[in-house]
Amino acid sequence: MDVSQYLEIFLDETKEHLQNLNTRILELESDPENADTINEIFRAAHSLKGMAGTMGYKRMQNLTHDMENVFSEVRNGTIKVMPEMIDVLFQCLDALEEYTDNIQSSADEGTNDNEALIRQLNDILNQDAAPRGQDKAPEKQEPAAAGSAAPGGNKWDSIRLDSSQIAVIKEAQNQGKKVYGINVLVQESCILKAARAFLVFKAVEEVGEIIVSDPSAQDVEDEKFDRDFTLIVLSDAELDAVIKAAESVSEIEKATGAPLVLENNKNAETEETPEPEEPEEPEKPEQPAVQSAPKVEKPAAPAPAAQTAKTDGRKPAASKPVVNRTVRVDIEKLDALMNLVSELIIAKNSLVSTSSQEQSGGSNSSFNEQIEYLESVTTNLHESVMKVRMVPIESVVNKFPRMIRDLSKKLGKKMELYMSGEETELDRTVVDEIGDPLMHLLRNSADHGLESAEVRAQRGKPAVGSIFLDAYQDGNNVVIEVRDDGNGIDVEAVREKAIERGTITPEQAANMTDKDIIDLLFLPSFSTAKKVTDVSGRGVGLDVVKSKIESLSGEVEVKSKLGEGSTWTIRLPLTLAIIQALMVVVGDEKYAISLGSIQTLEDIPPSEIKLVQNKEVIHLRGNVIPLIRLNQVLDVESKRSEDENLIVVIVKKGDKTAGLVIDELIGQQEIVIKSLGKYVKQCKFISGATILGDGEIALILDANALI
Amino acid sequence: MELSTKFSSQVPDEENQRSSETIQYIVIRLGEEQYGIDIRNIETITRMQHVTRVPKMPAYLKGVINLRGVVIPVLSMRLRMNLEADEITKATRILVLNLEQEGNVGFIVDEVKEVVSLNVDDIEKIGENNKEGKANLINAVGKHNGELISLVDLNAISLEG
Repeated sequence: MDVSQYLEIFLDETKEHLQNLNTRILELESDPENADTINEIFRAAHSLKGMAGTMGYKRMQNLTHDMENVFSEVRNGTIKVMPEMIDVLFQCLDALEEYTDNIQSSADEGTNDNEALIRQLNDILNQDAAPRGQDKAPEKQEPAAAGSAAPGGNKWDSIRLDSSQIAVIKEAQNQGKKVYGINVLVQESCILKAARAFLVFKAVEEVGEIIVSDPSAQDVEDEKFDRDFTLIVLSDAELDAVIKAAESVSEIEKATGAPLVLENNKNAETEETPEPEEPEEPEKPEQPAVQSAPKVEKPAAPAPAAQTAKTDGRKPAASKPVVNRTVRVDIEKLDALMNLVSELIIAKNSLVSTSSQEQSGGSNSSFNEQIEYLESVTTNLHESVMKVRMVPIESVVNKFPRMIRDLSKKLGKKMELYMSGEETELDRTVVDEIGDPLMHLLRNSADHGLESAEVRAQRGKPAVGSIFLDAYQDGNNVVIEVRDDGNGIDVEAVREKAIERGTITPEQAANMTDKDIIDLLFLPSFSTAKKVTDVSGRGVGLDVVKSKIESLSGEVEVKSKLGEGSTWTIRLPLTLAIIQALMVVVGDEKYAISLGSIQTLEDIPPSEIKLVQNKEVIHLRGNVIPLIRLNQVLDVESKRSEDENLIVVIVKKGDKTAGLVIDELIGQQEIVIKSLGKYVKQCKFISGATILGDGEIALILDANALI
Repeated sequence: MELSTKFSSQVPDEENQRSSETIQYIVIRLGEEQYGIDIRNIETITRMQHVTRVPKMPAYLKGVINLRGVVIPVLSMRLRMNLEADEITKATRILVLNLEQEGNVGFIVDEVKEVVSLNVDDIEKIGENNKEGKANLINAVGKHNGELISLVDLNAISLEG
């Protein structure tokens, strides 16, 4: 069966479960006794296993299976949560993430078996399971192996029977009916195990009566079983007939069975079971045995044996993901959209009828009315569509607590991440891209920002460093702040470093403000970390952050105070597709300038233009603003004569301002951004194009690139 | 039953043979010369319209136009072939080609004349040695009704000049 159509859903859900697991395990670490958390973890792990199995990702399934075993023991209280265990579990999650990435890029999970991890998981289990279950272990090894090898022992003998079931069996035996234990093994390649199992149930029920099933019928239906399940069947027919019935179902590898001898059942006669067990977890009795069995039955892979979670398996990054990106949309948002579209149709119909009235001498006012109506509908439609594309940044920032925890261990610094505004929504395309820059900044804060424990103590700061990640909406922008209470940026150190590296000359350095110096950090290959560590210091950090955010039409700023900490502020537009723009004319061409970067419009007489270092500047309310004559930049003839007043658009980028000299203003307009395509990409200060009402194209000027 | 399957299987065979022997070309005129462009790469042909200039672009890249809501670049075929600049007349057309790498790209041509079917035997490839100057865009010459038509190599016509 082809499961590729489910790949998207699988990936989506897997990522959700992984994220959930990450969060929960973090919770578990701080609160090891919380039963709700443990249950939640168990559920997530279980679904993951089921999904991986259904999709045929064996390695992923194996790993989750072993993780699930650990969770199961934790849930049952047989294993205590220990820091080492949390570490191993996190490594497992990383490994699972790697599988997921591989699947996303190539539809294949890769060849990393993560044997080392599986061994560690089993060690955790064995530490506890070994002293307790030694007497049962040898017996149960064989049935346990059934999952991967042929079924051997009598699994039905280990089914827990309650007194009523025993009574039924005894009565049937007294009536001369035969009672069989049947173990059914589903083929490894089987995809719809539950459906097959259901067919087996039906087939068997035709020749007899199923009294007990392990796992329970409900669990089997929900596919909560590995590859085999066990039945106790009452029947008049011979054993062979029952087995044949079970095996008649396709994709059933094997059914084995024997007459049930009640005395052999270990759990039948006694109420005290040798180990604690929860009724809704019927497959559990086998699990400790699986773990205590020597690890020979794990599939031997061609991959080198000593692989660890992170060593290899990365596919070349260039390969295109095999699935499209999706957005999960709230049904309410879609309803709103549908409503608006129907209104749009109504508006169109009214226009049609108005125009026919027009021809027969109707009035002009109703036409204008319709236009206004249409306008309000399209505005709402635009908003709704935008909302559909919006996703909370939660999906990205959720992984950070885990990252900070790992960093805290790796760097040996105590730190805590405080987040707010995770529900802030951004365009999906932006959310997808923002993760890496944020991660860089957080790492940066953790590594460079926060001081070592001794220094913190000296400075009278709390021992645990704080990193804050705050997101909020600010007008048409979303602001994300990364703040720490660490050392702040040592401007002098940066200055020296820059001189030493030859980035700037000592003379330049003397003239540069602190802010200019801090901006140097955003240059490629500039790192001030004294040592190159695993975390940062390779000098590929901040320039990547900057370029990434600029590619999203955003900007990044840093404020810092030595000894007190620094704040990195990322400002991003809410959406990339539609913007408010000022339409201007230069020469005889129309251009659009994003309203977001415009501060004011000024009317400047030519006499006010001064020359500073041979460049034109104007004095405006105490500020010196350089002038950029757009007609020169764009290579067109200006229509205005020399002595006319200049129309100047004051634009701002961070703290820098500039005045763009244009010929004429048209006005403000909502424009849809269209890509210019690869062909015309080379032009730096043109960020795109838009189609005007008359079908003509106007180019969008990127004021940021002009300054 | 048998007969009909035989019959239906013969028809496409014949068609295949025929289409493998002839290729359809759109014949365009640039000045006095005629060029042929493989019809399979042509998206649409539009009348000359206002082309929005993009600053800082090579001269042959005239700008961009709006083709059904999509912004596509427009090149001057003449400048691309190192001929004189275009003279816009009533016959001037924008030929929109669908190129593998760049997607849709428009080319300004003096005139679109006709569609011809050239027999494969009537097409003569030009060897590497003879390719120079504007000829590097021409990879074959076709004969049609005693006239020669230069066939444009669509791989070479695309981006870099």
